Amino acid sequence: MKEKVLTEHFGLENLYKIDVYKKQGGYQATEKALKKMKPEEILEEVKKANLRGRGGAGFPAGVKWSFVPDTDKPKYLCVNADEGEPGTFKDRYIMSHNPHMLLEGIIITSFCVGIHAAFIYIRGEYEAIALRLEQAISEAYENGFLGKNILESGFDLDIFVHRGAGAYICGEETALLESLEGKRGVPRLKPPFPASVGLWQCPTVINNVETISNISHIILNGAEWFVKQGLPKDGGTRIFGVSGMVKNPGIYELPLGTSLKDIIFKHAGGMKEGKKLKAVIPGGMSAPILTADEINIKMDFDSLVEANSMLGSAAIIVIDEKTSILDVLKVVTKFYSHESCGQCTPCRIGNSWINKIVKRIAEGKGKKEDIDSILRLASNIEGNTLCPLGDAAAMPILSITKKFRKELESHV
Amino acid sequence: MQEKANEMIKIFIDKEPVEAEQGTTVLKAAERAGIHIPHLCYHPAFPPEGSCRMCLVEIEGFPKLELACSTVVKDEMKISAKSERVVKARKAVLEFLLAEHPLDCPICDKAGDCKLQDYYDEYGLFESQFKEAKEKREKKLKIGKSLILDQERCVLCTRCVRFLKEVTTTQDLGVFHRGVHSSVNIYEGAAVENNYSGNLAEICPVGAITDEDFRFKTRSWFLKEGESICPLCSRGCNILIEYHPGFPRFEVPKRVYRIKARENPEVNDFWVCDRGRYGYSYLDEHRADKIIMNKIEGENVLTWENISEYLGEKIKRLSSAKKTSGIALILHTWLSNEELFLLHKIFKDDLKVEKIFFADLPQGEADGYLLTSETSPNRRGAQEIGFDIKPVDLDALASGTDFLLAFGPFLSGLFSPKDLKAALNTVKRKVLFSSYTHELNSLFDIVLPVALIAEKEGSLTNVEGKVQGFQPALEPPGESLPEWKVLSDLGKELGIDSKFYSELPSPEAILIEMGKKIPFFKKKND
Ligand SMILES: Cc1cc2nc3c(=O)[nH]c(=O)nc-3n(C[C@H](O)[C@H](O)[C@H](O)COP(=O)(O)O)c2cc1C
Ligand code: SF4
Ligand code: SF4
Ligand code: SF4
Ligand code: FES
Repeated sequence: MKEKVLTEHFGLENLYKIDVYKKQGGYQATEKALKKMKPEEILEEVKKANLRGRGGAGFPAGVKWSFVPDTDKPKYLCVNADEGEPGTFKDRYIMSHNPHMLLEGIIITSFCVGIHAAFIYIRGEYEAIALRLEQAISEAYENGFLGKNILESGFDLDIFVHRGAGAYICGEETALLESLEGKRGVPRLKPPFPASVGLWQCPTVINNVETISNISHIILNGAEWFVKQGLPKDGGTRIFGVSGMVKNPGIYELPLGTSLKDIIFKHAGGMKEGKKLKAVIPGGMSAPILTADEINIKMDFDSLVEANSMLGSAAIIVIDEKTSILDVLKVVTKFYSHESCGQCTPCRIGNSWINKIVKRIAEGKGKKEDIDSILRLASNIEGNTLCPLGDAAAMPILSITKKFRKELESHV
Repeated sequence: MQEKANEMIKIFIDKEPVEAEQGTTVLKAAERAGIHIPHLCYHPAFPPEGSCRMCLVEIEGFPKLELACSTVVKDEMKISAKSERVVKARKAVLEFLLAEHPLDCPICDKAGDCKLQDYYDEYGLFESQFKEAKEKREKKLKIGKSLILDQERCVLCTRCVRFLKEVTTTQDLGVFHRGVHSSVNIYEGAAVENNYSGNLAEICPVGAITDEDFRFKTRSWFLKEGESICPLCSRGCNILIEYHPGFPRFEVPKRVYRIKARENPEVNDFWVCDRGRYGYSYLDEHRADKIIMNKIEGENVLTWENISEYLGEKIKRLSSAKKTSGIALILHTWLSNEELFLLHKIFKDDLKVEKIFFADLPQGEADGYLLTSETSPNRRGAQEIGFDIKPVDLDALASGTDFLLAFGPFLSGLFSPKDLKAALNTVKRKVLFSSYTHELNSLFDIVLPVALIAEKEGSLTNVEGKVQGFQPALEPPGESLPEWKVLSDLGKELGIDSKFYSELPSPEAILIEMGKKIPFFKKKND
């Protein structure tokens, strides 16, 4: 039986308050984990659940945690609540509707990995949500779920909320660390990976809000149950954020593996004003675009990789026939050119260059060669940059330009 | 770095087997094997930065191109450093860099010396496809004492930023803004003001940071370079002296245009301080180039051929009259180990001269890094040789000195001209060895022009006791000769222990003799 996991109680009034949350069985998972389970057992369970990261790359959470070395250094957890990927708006729902579910996940994760300080790095614009998190955190302290000797287990944990200052790149995990350390948010060269050398040079786990929010459910209901909510290799549900030209844009929590077509036409009510579908960006703006013919596809990590796209943050942007693909390309190239941190050459100059060409085409001054230039420059960025933003820019640019070449050519 | 030294593994670069130190990077291993991999952000003084993407190479088993600057070698690793894919990626990076780069080479100080120019020459030579408007940036920002930043030429390698973070820890420069608008700048109201600022112009791989001291004065391809040691403090930083060959020439008013750091991990790493870098005018200004004879009896015309005979004769006369107590020496610690050793041997050991003084520049202030408070390069050497470094005592000098041999121009800075003159007037015969035309010279009977450290061969002992050899980087001007030559001739002339002096054709030979007598100077097997 498949059901809603994360958004089940979202309709409930005042769910964000600890009393209401507890009435729904809140903090039972924490009690279970801290009182009845050993850290190794929790790790085993999360590994078995095949919970893959919800932030973009889909790396299995349990495996990531197991990379944290056993050292005398302090270890940290950073919850990535930067939610900067265009089209993505799921984490804000979790945090504003059910902040305690996230806190529970943080407590259990920290207990499992041996962490005593956790940070929620939240997008700067989410000011009200940050306040709500702060309130939830103080409630959790008052109720003995945070602070010293939590539930008499001998385990200590503090949680801090840190607001970002408005750069997409600070959602990239190592730039996030730099920013959290008070520096300019630019990605670090990897290796070393944050699991061994992270925040203040100490081992650090970084996970997305949605990833961490699943933990309490895995602990309460078990890995086997969790896998059944999704796919064997991709456990649980995803909160799909559907935006663009659909009748009912919004978030839809559905099992991993739900078809894209169903999400658009069943769950989101189909196309707005009866327009024809032209294209879909299936996983946040960084995901390569799919044409209307390509939407008969299961929405899970592996299926999308097979279709040369990616599930990313599961943000589905629906584009109708009326929308000019040049406009889409303009938005994409402007975004990445603006958000490139500027550290490495191909991304810094390549994205700006492509953006200048696309702008020129949009001004009616395009030339035939421009389309090939865009393809050449984007493929010179792809695979050659310091952080994944370079690829995140090149992939959609390449797919849009290749798949809609004819339409773009009509503008030059 | 905790690299296990000496454990070697085998890797392959372009199919050629190459020995590499365990734990080293592909780039360093390649460099060691004489294979150059282009790089801009990598600098051996810092951990890899990985941002310029110039050093991409292909490594078997890796789907993407990898960075040579940061990838650690593994046994049997197979690397392609110039495959088609690699060359294409390098061209791509160059194309990106040049797209937003000004075409300044004809008026850029770095031309001829610029990595971007070199790499374009090697991999590029393509037509520009960039048809858009270039970003406008600051082209002449004064960022420090003598540094000018041209943001348009900057390739954002952040070497400068990292230098100020990791070496001087002053953090005077930062990267501002984002994306294509990223630029290096100073913070508001601040400037690069530390004693190492000049290193920035040197480590900037392009002409983005230039030095006002050098700017527009000459072109780098006119210059030759010679290796030397900085004599301006007792650290003994290894340097390169860049000079105009063919000096003197009408259009070229000076020889030396620039001092650069020469790598030595045991002394100065990759750096020199600003005092050493900019204080090179002493090499060209007010140089003495002729023997001066102010007062000399008879028909004698002194040349370097007969000088030791002349001096020897005076000394022998005093010595046979058992009057060596009438001999006085004023030395300084810019003299090399070999010269000081000869002086000690001749005057202290053999002639038992008592009145030996030292006249140096006054002490300065150490900066906590390289610059020492000692303002001369070889005080430690003088001590190890056995000198008791006593300041000049004019009263002692003025009582019963028949013959004074003085070295260096520093005496005049220590006393008033009146006192000096009064004291020296009581000395019967006095000879000065100096590299400069200076008022002081008029107080001596004879002034012999001598070479500076940059112009001779020898060794110096730095503040930490490290003995460093040096070779002439420049020609000594005019008739100037190095002191060691005169001294070894003089030793021979005096005839005491003449066998010893007969086998000293070079400073190298003198140092070997020194090692036999003073264990400190015995060559350490390195
Ligand atoms: C440019 C860029 C922006 C990113 N932005 C976010 C973000 O806003 N939120 C997020 O959770 N992950 C983001 N990521 C992914 C993170 O780097 C990281 O993979 C993720 O937080 C790990 O958590 P997960 O394993 O739970 O998904 C971004 C990655 C890149 C390259
Ligand atoms: S790929 Fe772009 S965002 Fe990432 S480090 Fe390079 S310049 Fe910065
Ligand atoms: S930095 Fe190099 S490429 Fe640029 S103008 Fe100067 S010499 Fe030419
Ligand atoms: S000014 Fe020079 S050293 Fe500094 S970042 Fe630019 S190119 Fe690099
Ligand atoms: S030298 Fe390797 S990335 Fe710059």
